Amino acid sequence: VPDELLLGLKFIFGPCAVPALDLVDQRSVTRVRSPSGRTLYQVLGSSGKLYTCYSSCHFCTCPAFGFSVLQKNESLLCKHILAVYLSQAMGACQELSVSEEQLTNILLAEEEDEG
Amino acid sequence: LCRGGLAERLCRLQNRERAAISFWRHQCISDDKVPSDKSGVLIVKILEIFEECTIQVATCQQLEQSPVSLSPEDALINAEEPILKVLFTRETAAHLKSRPQDVIHIYPPWQKLLLQNADVPVIMNTYFSQKVLLSEHSEAREKTYGLTKMLIRKNIISLAQTFRLDDLDDTLHQESSGNQVTCAPQIHNNSDSKQHPLALSAVNDSLLEMVESQGAVGWREMQVRVIIQRVYCLPAREGYRSHTQGNKPFCATPIANSNPPNVRLCLLVQDTYGMFSEVQLQSLSSTDDIEQYCRRWEGKSCCLAGMKILQRTTRGRALGLFSLIDSLWPPVVPVKVPGQSQDSEMMTTNLPPPSFCYILTVQSGEIHVEVDEEEQISNLYQPPAVHGLKEILRIDGCNERCSFWAQVLYQRLKTKHSVPIDQREILLFVTDSTLQNVVHGIPKVVAVSVTASCVLSMEIIEALSAGSQLVFFKDALWGNGRIICVERTVLLLQKPLLCSAAGADLSELTGPVRLDELDSTTQANSVCALRGTVVGVNESTAFSWPTCNRCGNGKLELCPQDRELLYCNQCSEVVTTPVLKMQLEVFLSCPSRSQDTVKVKVWHEMSITLFVLLTMLLFLQTYEVQSVLGKEVGLLNCFVHSVTSHPNCVALEEIVLL
Repeated sequence: VPDELLLGLKFIFGPCAVPALDLVDQRSVTRVRSPSGRTLYQVLGSSGKLYTCYSSCHFCTCPAFGFSVLQKNESLLCKHILAVYLSQAMGACQELSVSEEQLTNILLAEEEDEG
Repeated sequence: LCRGGLAERLCRLQNRERAAISFWRHQCISDDKVPSDKSGVLIVKILEIFEECTIQVATCQQLEQSPVSLSPEDALINAEEPILKVLFTRETAAHLKSRPQDVIHIYPPWQKLLLQNADVPVIMNTYFSQKVLLSEHSEAREKTYGLTKMLIRKNIISLAQTFRLDDLDDTLHQESSGNQVTCAPQIHNNSDSKQHPLALSAVNDSLLEMVESQGAVGWREMQVRVIIQRVYCLPAREGYRSHTQGNKPFCATPIANSNPPNVRLCLLVQDTYGMFSEVQLQSLSSTDDIEQYCRRWEGKSCCLAGMKILQRTTRGRALGLFSLIDSLWPPVVPVKVPGQSQDSEMMTTNLPPPSFCYILTVQSGEIHVEVDEEEQISNLYQPPAVHGLKEILRIDGCNERCSFWAQVLYQRLKTKHSVPIDQREILLFVTDSTLQNVVHGIPKVVAVSVTASCVLSMEIIEALSAGSQLVFFKDALWGNGRIICVERTVLLLQKPLLCSAAGADLSELTGPVRLDELDSTTQANSVCALRGTVVGVNESTAFSWPTCNRCGNGKLELCPQDRELLYCNQCSEVVTTPVLKMQLEVFLSCPSRSQDTVKVKVWHEMSITLFVLLTMLLFLQTYEVQSVLGKEVGLLNCFVHSVTSHPNCVALEEIVLL
């Protein structure tokens, strides 16, 4: 990976860049797939908590996303979403296949947390 | 942060960049001048600005030259000039305080991004930007735009794009030429399991880049070019890890079927950046090929593909591997420095030794290791440096890899015979002309311990049993005053074609081999020669037995037909003239170790004097101890079993050198 690319990431994504790269270095991103083809991403945050990032739209369950991106519009994304994109690009995603039920549970669980 | 990871790298780059930016800003304040040389400076005129999530996006027109030098009439918007979108960080924007119609000079390093779906290039990393003031317009501008607020416009992304309903490309194009970076927004759907034929893939020259870009999943499409520094075999066991701490060999539970030995062929490779990697290839059915592989592959360059990362190991966890890497450091030719463009000035040999190493293995399926056997040996190859044993014994250090060419005089199994072949430990007694030709001060013969983790080919094992051999020990380990052969040490019967002799005298031994004489410094598990006078005989240990004169079989039986004759099962014939083998312990008085009782077990092929002695003792049965006592015993070659201090006793066994 050339230096220019890393600096470019830093320029665009600012403070998210280094934490996101750290998550990629530690292989924290998992692509969760169900038989029907539905996917989502789970990222193991630095605090040990597992956050879910949607693959169909721009969303992460972490509090930083809700605050910086949605509320204050200060940032384009959070470090988890950036880590997802970078892991996709580098093929550094871990793969996990689960049943339909399990995937649904993961999605529903996020809803319950927010509600 | 992960050491050696991208995050750490970016941190470092970022710090450097920040320092450069503050230095540049400081310089700008002190002297503001129009750039005379247009080395990479981008000149733009802002048409409109808006802000998006802390980034200021300025739609600009690129100008050929600074409008300061043009007359006001000429400085009109020319429709032909290319349009750019220039991004500024919040900080830079605050510094610039740009307005539409401003002209900005953007100094390198900046980056250009070409998006697939848009035809307007984007300029980023615009930290080094400077506004050029046109004195004629400045007052007017002050009045008009004094209170203009920034336009904030939200870019509305269509839902079709968000839900990826458009047909988008999977492939990533990356070309870097100078400051420009071209890339496409990349979406990996389920179709990334495409197999690309190797012929079309680009050949990379950096192991680290390959590992980083492809991750643990493995790289299917890309190849990396490396040179093979060493070829060796590792014992292949489930969950085997190379833990050799304190020179203690790794012992596992015995495997029921250990024949043939389960070994994997391994390569230690190095790329043009000086980074090492151990590649574990297929299991070998026969270890006899190892010499062939060493000869054909070491020093050659090869392309690796279809590998996956088994482990990322560090110095502390893999002492054996790193002792080998250290012996190959620093590199003999300058290596490239990562992160720099391919500039020949950016090559160096002054790098710290590696602290981590990736262990790669083949993915299930095809192995892609294409070795250019026809090609010349690479400049980066460091052949084993061969030294005389005398020099090696003087090395000051621990866990140093050393290579030498020596005559094996005697071998002894340290483990029991019942232990399976892949766990045996052997002691080899070796010498060379550098040790033999010395008067005193260093031993004439050195013991080399071969642990179970050092894989020996059947060829070597048979050769060592057959007779004295000249053996090349490649990358043995020296430490704590001992030479040991561990994993990654290779024993070869032929001297490799390429090795740096380092002034060692590798001539053959002339004349018979001499052993050190028994003296006060003799230790257990060594060999020596002794002379002395018989002072006693341990009759209880006397034992003799007939052996077959044809095959040496020691277990002869009585013939069923004629119970006077002996029969050999292995030859299936009667033994008419058996060879008598005898064993006895005698006590000697040796002038060189007069304080100690010297007890020697003497058996089979014996020196003539003792044979005569024992014939008298055992068969004629007309001996008197006094007639035996006082007999001089000449120079006997012995293996020292033990040296004890209470009582002071040295127990030896007569041996025959190979």
